[in-house]
Order: sequence, then structure tokens, then C-alpha cells
Amino acid sequence: MREIFQYVPGTSLIHRLNPMTKLLLTLLICVAAFLTGNLFVLLGLLLVNLLIGFCAGIARRTLGVFKGLMKIAVFLFLLQVLLTRKGTPVFWIITDEGLYTSAAVVLRLIVVCMPLTLMLAVTRVSDLANAMVQVAHIPYKYAFTITTALRFIPQFLEEMSDIMEAQTARGVAFDKAKGLKKLGMMLPLCAPLLISSVRNTEHTAVAAEVRGFHLRTARSGFRHYPFHGIDVLTLLAGAALIALSAVI
Amino acid sequence: MIRLENVSFSYANLGPTVRDLSFHIRKGEFVAILGANGAGKTTTMKLIDGLIRPTSGKVTVNGADTRETPVSQRARQVGFLFQNPDRQICRNTVREEILFGLQTVRGEEGEEALKQRVDAVLEDFHFTGDEEPFSLSRGQRQRVALASILAVEPEVLILDEPTTGLDYLECCHIMDRIRRMNEEKMVTILMVCHDMEVVLDYARRALVMAGGELLGDGDVRTLFRDTALMERASILPPQMIALGTRLGIAEADTPETMAEAILSRRGGGSA
Repeated sequence: MREIFQYVPGTSLIHRLNPMTKLLLTLLICVAAFLTGNLFVLLGLLLVNLLIGFCAGIARRTLGVFKGLMKIAVFLFLLQVLLTRKGTPVFWIITDEGLYTSAAVVLRLIVVCMPLTLMLAVTRVSDLANAMVQVAHIPYKYAFTITTALRFIPQFLEEMSDIMEAQTARGVAFDKAKGLKKLGMMLPLCAPLLISSVRNTEHTAVAAEVRGFHLRTARSGFRHYPFHGIDVLTLLAGAALIALSAVI
Repeated sequence: MIRLENVSFSYANLGPTVRDLSFHIRKGEFVAILGANGAGKTTTMKLIDGLIRPTSGKVTVNGADTRETPVSQRARQVGFLFQNPDRQICRNTVREEILFGLQTVRGEEGEEALKQRVDAVLEDFHFTGDEEPFSLSRGQRQRVALASILAVEPEVLILDEPTTGLDYLECCHIMDRIRRMNEEKMVTILMVCHDMEVVLDYARRALVMAGGELLGDGDVRTLFRDTALMERASILPPQMIALGTRLGIAEADTPETMAEAILSRRGGGSA
């Protein structure tokens, strides 16, 4: 779980794309997923996600994320199917519209969540921040805030795992509980997690300040992120996905 | 009490972290696990508590295989003090924190009995009980974590670098309390510590590890005097032991005994 937001080194074509291209493609896929209600288009977008993962040489990570999302999707699907009353009943209280809407909702959820994790797997967070500043002219402190927030996610997950381990050693039955019971047991642990998170954030801020964070400007980066032909082609493909979703 | 038989462990996608470990710790022993970073010390302690399961071999605590009982069930028997106290503390006051551990493990004893236990521990550790744990200093938080573990009265106490980040007085306070538990209640202590002076002062037996393997097992002073072993494990022995070894004064391990040994040598030489 903790490694799903971590960078996977590689030399694939996807890895070599401009970080801004990858970020924009991620946004385009998300927008395309919201523009369409067509199941086939959503399935197509899901295939695009899987294809990107396979082309980037991170098939295992891609399938891992897919499997994780499927667990949530199954739960959401069942909930949605049982609560939707519109449409013609096909079995018990389940309607055809309920089935269709639920499938669309869970597919959209998977299609929207996958690109972000894939993008972080093929892009170094520092490259993303630098490209945001150089290409999109976002002030460095905002780019830093965004990338730091992303960097903290795996740290929080690791911290939570360590806290749970410590509590298990004290006799809290995390190793026996499952589902909602486990979730209930995790709630009191939010306090130590929150406190350690605030401490980590404060330490990071102080460390950045003492290293001259406020002196950093757009000109400070020594790496350049030029756009190549493949970046343009990728963005055109992304725009085509948007058009397809809007039309169908 | 604790027995490891040919235990090996590997983390996913990594090589073996510990290899073919075998040793036996008896009730009431005070054992230090020594080694450089990455030697496999913390992994060994987690294996003993059952937080991780061996890839091969067997770990037993009081005859029970750690693979067969959940960690949470063993908490009454084995207490684990982590290096970072903030991972253990999860309540708003010191009293609630100590009570939380007791309720989890000794809940069947009843409210009154638990309250008495909490009061005794609070008095012993000089807390009023109303302090907010996260507002205390690092050393005090470490004491809160230790207090909440000791309140349960475990038979085995595992300490992962208990003195890291503590000043000398705080370190002595915590270690003296642990020694008292060991001597008065025969609590078995297993400690990972990078401060060799603390190890020399408190532990009686040491396990020396390097690269996931057990290189030495025996009396702390004897192992510290084994220069070749210390070099292989990348450990710097305590100053007095190192000085004694260089001067050929094997029995000296404190400034007092060193001074006596040197004076008696001088006396012998002049006589």
C-alpha cells in the first residue's frame, strides 16, 4: 500500500515524457471520464490507463493499483445497485438503470484514480515541481506545497503502519480484527498520526527555510524540461480522448 | 523462555535480513543485542515479539510458537518499547494512556484493580496523571511509554534503543527503572542499544550481530574485550574497556577499577 505513490525508476518512453505532459495527460483522462456516461468509453479509458502502465514497464504496480481500486469498486457497486430504485427491475430490487449507473460510477472512480498513481510512479516529484515552475510558471512555493503534499502520502502510510504495529504490540487486536471493526480501532490512532504529521511538516518547513527556501525563484533550477514531438503527440491523443468522451 | 532455532527472515524484494539465528534466553536475563545499523537487531526483536514471522526456523516464547498466537494475545507476556514513543502514545492524558494498555491486556481484572495499578505506576514514575503526553519532553514521553508497558507487568521486556535522544539523567532514570524490574521481578530484558556505556552498565549478556548473522554470544565484558569480534561487528567498545585492553588490564572497566589497577601496577613496579 505504502509504495503505490512512490517513483519507479525507468527509461521507458512514458518516463521520458515532459513532467507537464504527464500531468496534463492525467488531467485530460480525468476530465474525459467525467464527460462521458458511456460504459464502453469508460472501459476504453480504463484500457488506456492499463496500457500506459504496461508501456511504462510498471505492469505489477498498475495491476496492484487496479486490484486495490476494484475492492472499493465492488463495495460501491453493491451499495449503488441496492439503493437505486429507478428503471425496470431485473432481479429482486435490482433495476437495469441501477446496474448501468453503478457500473458507470465505479468505472469512473477507477479511471480517475489510476492516472494520478501512474503519473507519480513514472515522474520524480522534484521534476514535477521544477517543470511546474519552469513550464507553467507556477510560483515555486505553490509547486513545492503540491509536491510536498504528494511526498507526504507514503510517509503517512508508513507512519500509520508503524503506529498500528506499536499498538498491536500493546495488545490492540489489529491482527485479528477486520473491516469496520478494524476501522473503528484505527480512529483513536489519528491523534498520534496527526501530531507526528504536524511535527514532520514543521521540521520540513524549518529545514527548507534554513537552506534558503525563500531565495528560490523560477531561475534557480538547473534542469530544463523542453517539449518534444512525442509530448505534442501525447497531448493530442489526450485531446482526442476528451473529444471522444464529449461526442459519444 | 525465548528460543530461536535456525531463524531466517527476508523482507519482500530484499535479501535475507537475518540468517540462521539460534540462541536461547532464560528467564530474568538482561541481554543486549549489539551491532551496526542494518545488522538485523530490530528485525530480531520483532521476530521475538511476533510482529514479523520467520521465513524459516522457529521462534518460541515460553514454549509457544510465535507463528501460532496473534501478537495482541502475547502483549501481556511481552512488552515492546519502541524507539519512538509517539507511536505508542494515543491518549490525551498520561493516566488514560497507562489505563489504555491495561484495559487492553488486563481488562478482566476490573476497574478498581486497574485504577490501583495506574496510581501505583503514576507514583513510581512521578506523574500526576493529568499531564498531556504530547506536551511533555521527549524523555518524559519515553517514560510515559515505558510506564504504560510496565503497568501491564510483562514477563519479557523488549527495548528498541530506549535511550536514543535522551539526556544523561533521563537515560539513567529510565535504565535504573528497567534494571529494578529485572532484578526485583525477574523480568527478562532484551535491549538494542548503540550506547556501549549503557550496555556495559546494565546488560549482563550480549548478542553481537553483523550482516544478519550472530557473531558472538556471551558475557558483555568478555565480548567487549574481543577486539577482533568488535572490529568485525563495527562496534567501538566502551572507553574503559578499550583502554584496559590496550594496557593489558583485563579486569578494569570503570574509572575507579582502572585507577586502582594502574596504581597497583605502579606500586608493584616500584617495589
